[in-house]
Amino acid sequence: MADFRALESVNKRKTFFLLFFMAVLVWSISYLAISAFGGSGAGVIPLAVLITLVSVWGSYYASDKLVLRMTRAKVIRYEDNPNLFNVVSEVVIASGLPMPKVAIVNDPAPNAFATGRNPEHALIAFTTGLLGSMDRDELQGVTAHEMAHVANRDTLVSAVAATTAGVVALISDILMRMLWFGGGRSRSHQNQMPIFLAIIPLILAPIAATLLKAAISRRRESLADATAVSFTRNPAGLRSALEVLARDNTVVEARSSAVAHIYIESPLDASAASKLFATHPPIQERIETLRRMEANPLGSN
Amino acid sequence: MDISIIALALILFLAVFAIIQYNKLIRLNIQVDEGFSQIEVQLKRRADLIPNLVEAVRGYATQEREVFERVVQARAASTTASTLPAIAAADGALTNALRGLLAVAEAYPDLKSSTNFLQLQEELATTENKVSFARQFYNDTVRSLNTAVKTIPSSLFVGLAKVGEREFYEVDDSAVRNAPNVKF
Repeated sequence: MADFRALESVNKRKTFFLLFFMAVLVWSISYLAISAFGGSGAGVIPLAVLITLVSVWGSYYASDKLVLRMTRAKVIRYEDNPNLFNVVSEVVIASGLPMPKVAIVNDPAPNAFATGRNPEHALIAFTTGLLGSMDRDELQGVTAHEMAHVANRDTLVSAVAATTAGVVALISDILMRMLWFGGGRSRSHQNQMPIFLAIIPLILAPIAATLLKAAISRRRESLADATAVSFTRNPAGLRSALEVLARDNTVVEARSSAVAHIYIESPLDASAASKLFATHPPIQERIETLRRMEANPLGSN
Repeated sequence: MDISIIALALILFLAVFAIIQYNKLIRLNIQVDEGFSQIEVQLKRRADLIPNLVEAVRGYATQEREVFERVVQARAASTTASTLPAIAAADGALTNALRGLLAVAEAYPDLKSSTNFLQLQEELATTENKVSFARQFYNDTVRSLNTAVKTIPSSLFVGLAKVGEREFYEVDDSAVRNAPNVKF
């Protein structure tokens, strides 16, 4: 269980199940909307889907440009940092992916992220703090983790998760308003289901969607660690990079929960979110997994 | 009437199935070719880098003639090798010779601190990593192709696609194989 191929397939399978639960959740809330609110409830569904699709997929399509602006990252060329470009192009060869755009965020907190709608539009960014605090092997490990996100199409996966979570939240929200502002006025007598029974699932559904979204994000982080090792065959590099991140207490300046999930280490305070809502697995747990991979290398092929 | 529709659907299904398997084999075979040309690109890069590196070190370490000769010979052998095992063997020998050259450089503090040498050292470090990742990527693609050639159902279409098992790129040096990250 400690080799990267097994870890990759476990994480992929778990992502699939989580996305499946997401679909079940969307289906349940839609069913509730139709059964408890009748015709006007049914009308809410396409509205919610449309609003979320437009908002999430717009940001998915332009993710590279949008994230650049939100994080104030600057795209650099080879001459600006030859060493960094060398490390990135090494990992590019190991991954078989096209060369991504490389950007630097002027920020003392060490961190890195990857974005872009597909490998051809990929962008990976490093904070100046990260570049200053890591040696070649550690930087290679971080780069491999980011390229792994590109290889695993994680911008797409998180867009799908955000869309479904958004649909659930919007439907619940609209139905709640309908309850409050006399949505039941015309139909309260014909309904099979007492309207107050609908309130509990309406409160719980968005919370469940948020939890599922966070769980998917954590899965993709574990998967990216495993894929990174499949690129470099050197778990020690990424492990010691994570140790550097774990030791560091500075917090990314331009932090925002909107972009928290794309960083290699959560830029938010650990105390700000409980473990269930966290976008990343605990860093110690990731270090332990990589240590197990070091103890049992699968370089024998 | 019904039977002919079923037969038609079956034929269509089999045709699509055959096309998918055929394309899979062709695609994997092309990936192996691409993987190998990536190795060649990186080996060429390294070969181009060596004369400069040797010159830089020779300026400081004039008496280490033996080490320079080994590097120059290994480089010559690697540029003339043509078959895959020969290329791999020459590649391994050159990696070893370069390691010797850099070990020599360690003994000359003036050389080690010259910017020209530091730049060459970084170039060589990244090229060595690229060579080793290109080898690894190539071997991964060979592994996928060989698995497809040997397992059903893709193995049934090997004759049609005119694709066969390919050779792994094996560098005969345990130190090289265990060290994808060269630190100089």
